[in-house]
Amino acid sequence: MKRLILLIAAAVAAWLLPYGLGGYAIHVVDVAIIFAVLGIGLGLAMGVAGQINLAQIAFFGVGAYAVAILTTRAGLGFWTAAALALLAAVLVGLLVGLPALRMQSHYLGIVTLGLALAFVNWITNATVAGRAEGISDIPVPPLFGVDLASEYLFYYVELVVFALALAFALFLTHSPLGRRLRAMRDDDLAAGALGAEIPLLRMTAFVLSGLYGGIAGVLYAGLIRFVAPETFSIANMFLLLAMVIIGGRRSILGCVVGAVALSLVREALLDVSAYAQLGYGSVVVLVVVFAPTGLAGLPARLRRRRAAGARAALGSFQPYDRVHDREDGRTDGQARDRVGADAVADAGVGSGADLLEVDGVTMRFKGLTALDQVSLTITAGEIRGVVGPNGSGKTTLFNVVSGFYTPTSGRVLFRGREVTGAAPYRLSLLGVARTFQNLRLFGDLTVRENILVGLDRTRTRWVWRYLALPWSVLGFERVLRVRADELIDRFGLRDFADAAPRALPYGIQRRIEMARAMAMTPALLLLDEPAAGLNGEEVRQLAAIVRSIRDSGVTVVVIEHNMGLVMSLCDRVTVLSGGKVIADGAPADVAVQPDVVAAYLGDSMSAPSRTAAEPADEPAPESAAGAATESATESATDSAAEEAAR
Amino acid sequence: MQVFLQTLIGGVTFGAVYALVAMGFSIVYRTMGLVNFAHGNVVMIGAYAASNLYMFAKLPFPVAVAVAIAVTALIGLVIERVLRPLENKDFDLMLIGTIGFGTVLEAGAIRVFGATGHAVPSPVATAPLDVAGIKIPTYSLLVIAVAAAATVLLGLFLQRTKRGAAMQAVAMDHEAATAVGIHVGRSNAMAFAIGAGLAALAGGLIGPMLYVNPTMGGSLGIKGFAAAIFGGFGSMRGAIAGGMAFGLLDSFAAGHFQEYSELVTFLVFAAIVMVRPTGIFGETTVNRA
Repeated sequence: MKRLILLIAAAVAAWLLPYGLGGYAIHVVDVAIIFAVLGIGLGLAMGVAGQINLAQIAFFGVGAYAVAILTTRAGLGFWTAAALALLAAVLVGLLVGLPALRMQSHYLGIVTLGLALAFVNWITNATVAGRAEGISDIPVPPLFGVDLASEYLFYYVELVVFALALAFALFLTHSPLGRRLRAMRDDDLAAGALGAEIPLLRMTAFVLSGLYGGIAGVLYAGLIRFVAPETFSIANMFLLLAMVIIGGRRSILGCVVGAVALSLVREALLDVSAYAQLGYGSVVVLVVVFAPTGLAGLPARLRRRRAAGARAALGSFQPYDRVHDREDGRTDGQARDRVGADAVADAGVGSGADLLEVDGVTMRFKGLTALDQVSLTITAGEIRGVVGPNGSGKTTLFNVVSGFYTPTSGRVLFRGREVTGAAPYRLSLLGVARTFQNLRLFGDLTVRENILVGLDRTRTRWVWRYLALPWSVLGFERVLRVRADELIDRFGLRDFADAAPRALPYGIQRRIEMARAMAMTPALLLLDEPAAGLNGEEVRQLAAIVRSIRDSGVTVVVIEHNMGLVMSLCDRVTVLSGGKVIADGAPADVAVQPDVVAAYLGDSMSAPSRTAAEPADEPAPESAAGAATESATESATDSAAEEAAR
Repeated sequence: MQVFLQTLIGGVTFGAVYALVAMGFSIVYRTMGLVNFAHGNVVMIGAYAASNLYMFAKLPFPVAVAVAIAVTALIGLVIERVLRPLENKDFDLMLIGTIGFGTVLEAGAIRVFGATGHAVPSPVATAPLDVAGIKIPTYSLLVIAVAAAATVLLGLFLQRTKRGAAMQAVAMDHEAATAVGIHVGRSNAMAFAIGAGLAALAGGLIGPMLYVNPTMGGSLGIKGFAAAIFGGFGSMRGAIAGGMAFGLLDSFAAGHFQEYSELVTFLVFAAIVMVRPTGIFGETTVNRA
């Protein structure tokens, strides 16, 4: 209600604004609105989707120049030209975005900046674009007899377009698609593992910023009716960047505020433009260092400083319903009679059937063999332990199974289907969920949003609904939120639902990651060292949670160094050493095999407890020469691996 | 054939300067993982400092360049100090912060030196050498020789001195470097100063080849950066190879496409980087699991 009143007040104020402004002031406002639309586009690409796009000014230029060329050279009407200009801007956005499929961050920044320079180079030299003089006498856009040559009347056209553009951008950022984009920004690997189609999402970001650039360009052509290269220069790109950073790139409203504010400041300092440039350059540096979230982030920062009370507590886990009561024969994992079959049959595989088959997988990194002819079969309904010394290839195995690595040779079959080298999102949608050894939660999303990303099982091609059926998106979002709340309650995270995960204790973060993985309703759950960093009580809770997850019909594979947990939890254990499977069987049998004792415990017979030491991101390969059992040899091979990776 | 060789010489000369710019990028990036978008503007400041001292203060060219190096090294230290809170934290913010610095430097240069630039006379006044009909400007030879000498000296510093080794260690793992007692802050500052010094050397050398003006930093910086990516970001030999490759691409594009050379250069660059994002010698930090 309060929001509605604010909205109406803003609309009325915007409606009345021209009555209080002089002829030049309205021109300044018109230009500011155009920059605001541009800023939204840049905010969507950079702040929301994390794509460093320094070609936004070129998208703007494509829109404006397309209108200019099509109206003056091809004699098209203004609005026909405008529609084609939007199309052109979107296409250029798509093309400029292509490099994002192969590279990110500074690489992407420099390539897009280079392409923006290429565009400026073209418009300054091409005869069709009027060379350095630009193109003048673009016709006044006709609108049912309304004279849009008047900047006052053009203001209202801009206002309507801007309101629609802003509303769509806000809707998008708060929708499942926007959440996926933000998840991708925070951690694209984890987002992929949660079912987000990273390449398509990156292209979506560029298409959006192309679209907004195009809209701004069309408005510019209609307002100024003259285009020249200097408007689309790199200096203006950096001005636009400054607007978005100062306003707060992660908030669409912040981008708008920054754009409007800086446009006005620039106008005020027009006579001393070198000082203005000096000023906004310094402000950008100061904002980046002292207020990285920009103007938009200030209220939240102040609030956080004040509200720091109210202790929250981790609730207890509420077990899943058992699919069927098992007729227990807990002594022997192999011989157990599995009555839980039907539930797993839902997922297309009967219990006792092979859910995952890894067949002769070899993974090499530049001469280092991380996995050497690894074969194992995971039966539906079991809890499988994967153990082995650090650097024995356990995480590499997970990375192969979850699609991060394409193995050098060998096959991976999931539910009897070959999935070797399938993209992580594809595996995620097929029903493979995983957690990460070093926790890959989306740091700037709340706990609830983290879980919502997991719950969203749609493909990206579903996006046509955002334009055609926005209300169905809202309905879908409502359903997701209900289910998120159920999961949050089940995992006892009620008190933390709206907190940012990075501020929470480690044990809670581990549980959030587990809840997020379970949000995918997987058939196979891969847990990478879920007990690392947990205390005794937390480990006990973890065991209960994993058992309950299995009882609900999910097959679990767990990498773990905590041997007590492995022995009590797992039905079967696979031991890796030096990238090879050296043992496979019931925990009690495996633990006494001499090979395992030698490889795993080394000569010292002391249980390894370096659980947190193994870096998950490293492929953790080691030389094929043999198992490194002593830490000295191990660190030597680790650094050799790192060296090779460099 | 003659035209080809003439273009080749021009390309190698510019390539030598791009290599210096790219090495400046790379040494900062290696040591502290910071991509310094202000680097091009530091080159511009270096060009101004060197040319003004040479033309108006009548200092000998080598002295003018040496003073310019000192000035920009100081600027490098300032940039590093201000952005220190962000080091090894938020990559994108650092990137944007350096863009902000670049804007400040450019605006400052417009304030101090005016918006229009000036041409710089060549410090070597002899006629071009004539080798089988191809004219080799003596200044080109000087540029190539100085760039080569700077490369060798930098290599020796990194490989043979304790300070250089410490910088390499910080580049590999800054936490481990701290653990063995290396002052990471000092090492970073030194990397930044060296990078800025290389920028001034490049700027001083390119002054007589181009028109010195406040906006030259933008395109030089982007080209040097592109050269660094070409060769493999963070790799020193990559910077040299990339600089040469980019210089050649640049000068052949200028020969064949005249005013559209920039368009062609950056399109070709984008295409090559698409095919091989890690450059010639490769960097592995792009998109790793």
